[in-house]
Amino acid sequence: MSEVDVAPREWPTVRVVAQREIAVKLRDKAFIWTTVLMLVLVTVATVLPVLLTQQVPSLRLAVQGEAAEAVAELAAELGARETPDAQLPVALIGVGGLPAAEITTVTVEPGVDVARLLQDEDVAAALLGEDLDDLHLVGLRDVPGELETLVRAASSELQVAQAAADAGLSAQEVAALTQPEPPALELLEPRPEGTVPPQLLVLLFAFLFYLSVLTFGTSIAQSVVEEKQSRVVELLVAAMPVRWLLAGKVLGNTVMAVGQVVVIVGAGLIGGMVAGQGELVRQLAASSGWFVLFFLLGFVMLSCLWAVGGSLASRVEDLSSTTALMQILVIVPFFAAVLPIDEGTQRVLSYVPFTAPLLMPARIVHGAVEPWEPVVAAVLVLVTAAVLVVLGARLYAGSVLHTSGRMKAAQAWRGLG
Amino acid sequence: MDRELRLEGVSRSFGTHVALDDVSFTVRPGRTTGFVGANGAGKTTAMRIVLGVLAADRGQVTLGGAPLTPALRARFGYMPEERGLYPKMKVADQLVYLGRVHGLDTATARRRTAALLDELGLADRADDVLQTLSLGNQQRVQVAAALVHDPIMLVLDEPFSGLDPLAIDAMGAQLRERAAAGVPVLFSSHQLELVERLCDDLVIIDHGRVVAAGEAGELRAAHAGRRYRVAVRDVAAADLAGRLAAVVPGGPDAVVPVEGDAGAVVVDLGDGDEQAVLAAAQGAGAVREFAPVLPTLAEIFREVVR
Repeated sequence: MSEVDVAPREWPTVRVVAQREIAVKLRDKAFIWTTVLMLVLVTVATVLPVLLTQQVPSLRLAVQGEAAEAVAELAAELGARETPDAQLPVALIGVGGLPAAEITTVTVEPGVDVARLLQDEDVAAALLGEDLDDLHLVGLRDVPGELETLVRAASSELQVAQAAADAGLSAQEVAALTQPEPPALELLEPRPEGTVPPQLLVLLFAFLFYLSVLTFGTSIAQSVVEEKQSRVVELLVAAMPVRWLLAGKVLGNTVMAVGQVVVIVGAGLIGGMVAGQGELVRQLAASSGWFVLFFLLGFVMLSCLWAVGGSLASRVEDLSSTTALMQILVIVPFFAAVLPIDEGTQRVLSYVPFTAPLLMPARIVHGAVEPWEPVVAAVLVLVTAAVLVVLGARLYAGSVLHTSGRMKAAQAWRGLG
Repeated sequence: MDRELRLEGVSRSFGTHVALDDVSFTVRPGRTTGFVGANGAGKTTAMRIVLGVLAADRGQVTLGGAPLTPALRARFGYMPEERGLYPKMKVADQLVYLGRVHGLDTATARRRTAALLDELGLADRADDVLQTLSLGNQQRVQVAAALVHDPIMLVLDEPFSGLDPLAIDAMGAQLRERAAAGVPVLFSSHQLELVERLCDDLVIIDHGRVVAAGEAGELRAAHAGRRYRVAVRDVAAADLAGRLAAVVPGGPDAVVPVEGDAGAVVVDLGDGDEQAVLAAAQGAGAVREFAPVLPTLAEIFREVVR
């Protein structure tokens, strides 16, 4: 046997460790099920609202009396009008602020028991009356909002038309009265149509980051403490420098975390495309870039701390206390990003390395940043990550062989394993 | 490849506690070296420093005269005192993993794993999760973990603890086989009879200091001191002891009857003259036995560890 034929080299060994982390995670049933669940949630969340909002309600309206018939006819006409922009995902508001609805009128002869029809739920409501100024819209428990609005609009339009005709106005004047010209709406920097509000995007990103760091941070800490608890760690650190082991764990879990986020965001984007929301997909894809970059940096920065949290514990049960600091470092930025805070504070927090991974992308989404700002924040996070990797490696090395009882960070620093 | 491992002036403290104080000894290739000491004497600390798991405050560890590098250390086989593998990982998977961590490529790691499991009689358990194995079998997997990368040096911390007599014999044979193949083997143990039986060389450590080191036979001879075993035909031990006590400086305390051999006594000469003792014995009758006594390892141990 020659002397140099086998000797572990850094990168391949780190990769071997990372591969094991990934293999363990892929066989973890809890991980698989949460991923599947999140995929289903994202798909449902993107496709369902589209299906719901694109559905125009079908309503049957019982009608009795001459005026009632005229109003019902106009209401049906108003409700059936095409919306001016068919691509609009939120189709709640139709022409001139009127909702869309498909109204079927059912003429009821005098003497028929209208209350009975309503009780049988044969019709959604009944419109009764011979005179325009004496109409009754009758419902069982309530009247569908669309129906009420449309009937009210039709009734007032007919009344205005009648009053105008009584006053001897020309057809043009009547039209001006019944269909007044609304003010033209002009936006200097219009958001593309079919977008979600920025605050919702921020919430989505913040939630994904929060969930990923918590899931995979815990997973790193657990993997570290399990090796300590099973004592296998001594064999590992005899075979390789501790920082390779740390690097392998961080790498493996980063790959899994980023992979999960990409799969989930990807499912959302594909779901959006399938549901015909091209604009929404473009908006998401455009703001995802910075988010993914900050996600990556923020994740690496925090995951070293999670590994230290794991190495300070000696049993899985100790983890909740040794990782308390890391949990705070995940929860505080989450709320800082989600809760409304004043712009000055938000600006400052978007540079603080622990809150930057969420708040800088949030400010980008809101469109309130100079082009250089994300770069500076990213560099700050990167530098902090580098410092934490070095600190984390030392704390990890100082505590990973200490298998009896919890350790204080200061002890680990002095290497009292 | 036949290079010896040498510790030179290795010291290590934990806070104010001195775990190792200027420890030097040699582990020679082709030989098994027993590492003996009371609990807390510093055996595990010394072994961890050899493996690079702990750093020495002072001193160095060399292999063939060259300081140890991480690349060299990665080729050592190690069985830590606190046993442990991944409980939820399959036997073969974790041996392949550990082989790869030690720098083997996947194909070699698989081949070596299969061969070792075969050798250790665990081939049919290769795909079982470790924690489903009996403790004895888990211990065998631990041995395989130390051997999977074909180590150039073996360091085993208490390899015999928790083993039944048959497993002890098998483990002993493994160690001898590796040593015969030219691999220096260092192991620690509390079981002194076992160490005596298996070791070519010995290192005895006490309170962080090496108190005796060298070839087992030479050590015994060196610590033989001036003790003689004497027996005279048809003379009871008590009578013989009385006669011999008169000619040694230690008096009656220096003459002890041998248990299980009626008639024989062991005489500690002290500054006395063995010819005077022989003459006194001959005065009692026909001398059946007169020979220097080699101490057992346990006796040497008790003598040097005080």
